[in-house]
Amino acid sequence: MIDLRLQSAVPRDIGLWEWFSDPETWTDPDTGILVSLVDTITLCLAVMAISVLIAVPLGAGLAHLRKGELTATWVVNIGRALPTFAVAGLLVPIALRQGWGFEPWPILIALVLLALPPIYLNTHTAVRQSNTGAVEAARAMGFSERDVLFRVELALGAGLILAGIRIAAVQVVATEPLRAYFGGDGLGRYVRDGLGQNNDTLLIGGAILVAGLAVSTGLLLSLLERVALPSGVRRLRVSRPRQTRGAQ
Amino acid sequence: MTTLSSSRNPLVRWDWVTNEWDQIQEALLQHLQLTLLSVFYGTIISAFLAAIALRFHWAMTPVTATTGFLYTIPSVALFGLLVPYTGLNARTAIIALTSYTLLIIVTNTVAGFRSVPASVLEAANGMGLSPRRRVLTVELPLALPYIITGIRIATVTTVGLVTIAAIIGQGGLGRLILDGLQRTFWTPMVVGAVLSVIMALALDLLIYGAGVVATPWARRARVR
Amino acid sequence: MSGHQNSGATPVAIRLVAVDKVFPGASEPAVRGLSLDVRRGETVALIGPSGCGKTTTLRMINALIQPSAGRIEVEGVDIASESVAELRRGIGYVIQQVGLFPHRTIAQNIGTVPKMIGWDKQRIRERIDELVDLVGLERDMLRRYPDELSGGQQQRVGVARALAADPPVLLMDEPFGAVDPLVRSRLQDELIALQERVNKTIVLVTHDLDEAIKLADRIALLNVGGILEQYDSPDDLLRAPASDFVERFVGGDRSLRRLTLARVDELPFAQGPVVEYSASAREAQDAMERSGTDWFGLTRDGRFLGWVRREQVNGGPIDELPRQPAAAQILPGSTLREAMEVIVTSSTETAVIDDDGRFGGVVTLEQIRERLGTAVRTA
Repeated sequence: MIDLRLQSAVPRDIGLWEWFSDPETWTDPDTGILVSLVDTITLCLAVMAISVLIAVPLGAGLAHLRKGELTATWVVNIGRALPTFAVAGLLVPIALRQGWGFEPWPILIALVLLALPPIYLNTHTAVRQSNTGAVEAARAMGFSERDVLFRVELALGAGLILAGIRIAAVQVVATEPLRAYFGGDGLGRYVRDGLGQNNDTLLIGGAILVAGLAVSTGLLLSLLERVALPSGVRRLRVSRPRQTRGAQ
Repeated sequence: MTTLSSSRNPLVRWDWVTNEWDQIQEALLQHLQLTLLSVFYGTIISAFLAAIALRFHWAMTPVTATTGFLYTIPSVALFGLLVPYTGLNARTAIIALTSYTLLIIVTNTVAGFRSVPASVLEAANGMGLSPRRRVLTVELPLALPYIITGIRIATVTTVGLVTIAAIIGQGGLGRLILDGLQRTFWTPMVVGAVLSVIMALALDLLIYGAGVVATPWARRARVR
Repeated sequence: MSGHQNSGATPVAIRLVAVDKVFPGASEPAVRGLSLDVRRGETVALIGPSGCGKTTTLRMINALIQPSAGRIEVEGVDIASESVAELRRGIGYVIQQVGLFPHRTIAQNIGTVPKMIGWDKQRIRERIDELVDLVGLERDMLRRYPDELSGGQQQRVGVARALAADPPVLLMDEPFGAVDPLVRSRLQDELIALQERVNKTIVLVTHDLDEAIKLADRIALLNVGGILEQYDSPDDLLRAPASDFVERFVGGDRSLRRLTLARVDELPFAQGPVVEYSASAREAQDAMERSGTDWFGLTRDGRFLGWVRREQVNGGPIDELPRQPAAAQILPGSTLREAMEVIVTSSTETAVIDDDGRFGGVVTLEQIRERLGTAVRTA
């Protein structure tokens, strides 16, 4: 069985609090937290932008045409099974051969592959399951197919789509630290360096930063979701009707 | 950066593979072991948590919140947070990996039990099945498709997370990948990467197959 | 058609004594002081408006709901004294959505209770085969799963499952509500036939008065709060509503409803203005005079040929006169309701009884009125 006794942390050089309160930790142009943060956020934004631009039109378009349902399931399953670390690793020699350089393409592509399944699945489901009553009514009223897609299906499915984007974004932000092992930096560097130098302060500090960003991203996007949705559009949630037996 | 020509550093040097076969096997085994152990512990803890959440309605929120929170912590961060206290060893990896499985398995288990139609429960009670019998012979089999899907997803995800555990020296196949990256020697990296992908897909298929065998009545609509 | 009436000496299978049920948080009791006896072998329908507590009452009999006060006895035993599981294994329970176990085959579903109480495999197999035939299913369905069967078939399996361990009592909660009217009618007929063979004590909850009239020996009409307004045979309930509430509930067409409970062959034979085709025009006139009608009927060798109007009589042989056939076929087993339909729609206002094509008499409005007890005596 697992031995659950803990050893005490071994701080090196300076304590955690000192490290965080030292402005240099933040502002150092090469290894500062701010710089690393910008690095991380830039990559994540790029990944999300690419993923959204691919997955949303594809998912919405196919769902509108009532196609690609099986593909959606397969994409999600295979996407889930591909370890990002492994995929990024495999892309490195390919990237090098193509002359793209070690950084950042392998990790970027791997992260895009990570983000695609949830966005595609949610978009496809949202448009596919979109309140068919409203869709039929729209068609009957003379909406063009394009209008049906944009003004009805996507509008009603917006909640689910945004949820998919949020899930993908959190996963991307959570996995981005791997970049530090692929020749990049970003917030993952502190964990990497902490492990490498046996410096628990860096290690814990880095972990807190990474975790903090992931959680914040989740919270921020949740908030955005709530704000961005028009009040009349309720989030699509599959609920099971609970049959209650009252007095008869 | 080094530019590499294919003759000097091909993707896979097969002689390395045959030479280092023991090492590869060991990595494979370690990887499998970490994955299966974590999912095993995770399933047991999840069963316990799901039972509590189903039995006591107020427990649902705290259970979801806790397992959800654990899931949100990036693996890199969780490893980093645990290492100073639990050391650079398999124990740390298993603790982290197990906590990642909880959200999925608990959520799916609860969903599975909730999916049992009220009419089936009512009929079971009305026929005189004792609560224990009802849970074991009616609710559990009907919840099984969901539970198995949860275990499947957890297993596949864990395979991926184990590769990341390489950063704390426990990665099994991830160690090969990392090694290869650091030495810019592609063979171990490709071997490690390909094998981990195959392992994930193979386990996915295996558990799916086990699910099909275990639930013969659900032939038509399958929770894929 | 309801089953036979029971004499007062028949033992009581289910007894409710001053049963109350108040749900937590409710301001009014769902059931208040309900006392009811169900005799062995009879079919009792619990019916009433929403909130009358009929389903609550049913579910108290097999302890799915615990009464707040009062006593319930099944087969003479206070149900509070036995274990809930034991009690329920001795009572068959059928609900609207059936609740078949999706993960078990039909055979396994039916065999659930026998298996639980420890019958041996051989006995269970035989019982399952017996039940499948009893409820009108085919043997090859036994290996299938519930989702492969239609709604009506599933409902039959539900009944078979409830009867599997041969319980003396059967509780049914709107059992036929989830199927379409055609299937429902068939299932009702089959329940009647089944009951004649197995003779269980059945308590049935329904919101459909016609169903209650059709299936029940006695109907317990409940008002909101479980108040028993009337507990009588269907005919008595319709004939003599005990209160305004009952009268309103059974509706303004209760006499017409009663007609469904009586059969044509219960009426005394009436020849009516019907003569043989070989009769003379004079005899035909006499027949019309006697019955005071402007038409007469013709038979030949016992078969009814049709109606002839007075104006058509021209002195020639009456069998050559133009005639109108009978509006519809009324058999001895037809209900008075069906005869009424013909009376109301035919120009002669009379129904002809046909038994294998043989003339069996006529049915008139007067006869029906007499039967209902609503005849107007003319001086």
